[in-house]
Amino acid sequence: MATQDTTRDRQPGSAQQPDRAESDDGRGRLRRAITLLIGGVLVVRGLRRRSVRGLVMALTGGAVLGRALGVSPSRSDSGSAAPTVAGESTEVTRSITIGEPAQDLYEAWRDPETMSKIMGHFADVQPQGEDRLQWTVQGPRGWDASWETRIVDEQPGESIVWRSPADAMVPNEGEVQFSDAPGDRGTEVTLTISFDPPGGSVGSAAARRLDLVPEAIAGKALSRFKSLVESGEIPSLDENPSARGSGDLV
Amino acid sequence: MKALTWHGKEDVRVEDVPRPSLVNPSDAIIEVTATAICGSDLHLYHDRVPSMQKGDILGHEPMGEVVEVGSDVETLEIGDRVVVPFTISCGACWFCEEELYSLCDNSNPNAELARSMMGHSPAGLYGYSHMMGGYAGSQAEYLRVPYADVGPITIESDLPDEQVLLLSDVFPTGYMAAENADIEADDTVAVWGCGAVGQFAIQSAHMLGAERVIAIDRFDERLDMAREHGDAETINYEETDVYDRLMEMTGGRGPDRCIDAVGTDAHGTGVVAASDRVKQRLKLEDDRPYVLREAIKCCRKGGTLSVPGAYVGRVDNLPFGAVMNKGLTIETGQTHVQRYLEPLLDRIEAGDIDPSFVLTHEAPLEDGPEMYRTFNDKTDGCVKTILRP
Ligand SMILES: NC(=O)c1ccc[n+]([C@@H]2O[C@H](COP(=O)([O-])OP(=O)(O)OC[C@H]3O[C@@H](n4cnc5c(N)ncnc54)[C@H](O)[C@@H]3O)[C@@H](O)[C@H]2O)c1
Ligand SMILES: [Zn+2]
Ligand SMILES: [Zn+2]
Repeated sequence: MATQDTTRDRQPGSAQQPDRAESDDGRGRLRRAITLLIGGVLVVRGLRRRSVRGLVMALTGGAVLGRALGVSPSRSDSGSAAPTVAGESTEVTRSITIGEPAQDLYEAWRDPETMSKIMGHFADVQPQGEDRLQWTVQGPRGWDASWETRIVDEQPGESIVWRSPADAMVPNEGEVQFSDAPGDRGTEVTLTISFDPPGGSVGSAAARRLDLVPEAIAGKALSRFKSLVESGEIPSLDENPSARGSGDLV
Repeated sequence: MKALTWHGKEDVRVEDVPRPSLVNPSDAIIEVTATAICGSDLHLYHDRVPSMQKGDILGHEPMGEVVEVGSDVETLEIGDRVVVPFTISCGACWFCEEELYSLCDNSNPNAELARSMMGHSPAGLYGYSHMMGGYAGSQAEYLRVPYADVGPITIESDLPDEQVLLLSDVFPTGYMAAENADIEADDTVAVWGCGAVGQFAIQSAHMLGAERVIAIDRFDERLDMAREHGDAETINYEETDVYDRLMEMTGGRGPDRCIDAVGTDAHGTGVVAASDRVKQRLKLEDDRPYVLREAIKCCRKGGTLSVPGAYVGRVDNLPFGAVMNKGLTIETGQTHVQRYLEPLLDRIEAGDIDPSFVLTHEAPLEDGPEMYRTFNDKTDGCVKTILRP
């Protein structure tokens, strides 16, 4: 798959949320709790699936948890995807090449049904009117985290930018860009996701380092989007038989 | 349903597992009537392929009868008799359009896992680890076939299973290996490994115009097969030094084209082999590349090295300096099976080749564990086994 992965410092001045309090202890604690929650979600989901992917997910979740709990000091083994924590935020950017025209991809991305399919591995996504989506991540023991995003900028056929309100449980924003690939190869689609963008209150290192989650979300969402638009379906191991039972993973 | 499942090194079991069902609109379900055991399955049997899980269903060389079709399937009908390629390919991505089916961008549900290990994800395969898709294998009573309009080929004629089954993998694999070798008139082709893949590489090398084919192995029955069915000259590597013998046979030039139809589980002797085994145990090395090393040394300057043999991860002590300074070309890959189904079926139907010559054993699925052992140990003259679910 033609993907490429960079995690880098945020460009100064881009997509600011100046209205968020700079250091609010209460909210910092809440966000830390949510970091733990999402880490926990990944651990629980991963273990429940008992698949290799599940294992990876559990490890990923474990790493998020571990770092939130301050038990895993080093990330030096994670190579080029290691985030640089500069200022207040990290973001992940991934690219994929899709054999369809940019305008079609733009329209497909704009369709809430597409979002709900390609983000299904991570969150339940429901449309809330024209430009809004409601995201819900189910956690263990009935906890869940939920937030809304709204499209704040779009250039038809070129890009879409969405963002959560400043006081969302999980402040986040994303951008997708479509640009022509060489020759007959279609369109290069670049997705950037960041959690806890700058200007937000970053109470704990844990919240700042929620990067593994956007990393997992971005890569998988792009693959799923590509498969859906190119082949009409997302490859699936639902009900995949084995001596462990039926169904392996998302 | 009954299926053969993987439980670790040299541990294959017959177990009851759930029956697969249609999941995506382009899926079909086939009732498997015959499925072979492959040298690739032995890499799993040796626990050499990462991301296997206990209980995974093995197998990737099936044929059978279509019993269910998804709402988007256009080319298959219930009751059709089909051979299913081991490569799962969407038919719509850039790679599929270029007929590079084993490099399909869309068919691996665990693409991120493969990407983290290899940089990019190849196509999903049946029964060949989670990194390679996690799809349940075909050594079972039923198989779910995704993208059913892209893979399976319908057999209209009444050719017996034995003649068409090997279109699922090893015949196309041997053929692609020979094609990748860029054979020209007057060429001498050396083929390491006289398993099913090697046998079909030998046959295909002749089809593609090779002047001479030299086959290398250590099992007499396999070398006999290469001589009798493949019109090959043979070298038993346990009796002679392969490099010396090949130079003698080619006036010191070396074979123009070399085909490694052995792969990662190559058998080696001597000090280097012992050190490779130790490194492998200590996880310092993933593959045992004896054949790769030997073929690089033997190949004529400017020649081609074609590698259908499967490798898994890192290879140690590869004489890349020789590759570079001798100007060798290396071609490899999982087979783009879909590309070869029709042309090779035509050849079978025309009577140019009867692939059933490699089949030495047939057994019910329940005898699978024993057949794995026989095939692994190369006892009882076993070259290729058909299992009947
Ligand atoms: N590229 C593909 O798509 C593809 C498809 C099918 C199989 N394969 C691979 O092809 C290889 C062969 O498959 P097979 O079914 O013929 O397996 P097989 O086990 O029947 O045959 C392997 C042969 O290699 C011989 N061998 C071992 N060490 C040797 C050495 N040092 N020198 C010469 N010969 C040696 C063995 O004696 C045996 O006869 C495997 O690696 C398999 O995974 C690749
Ligand atoms: Zn095979
Ligand atoms: Zn494809």
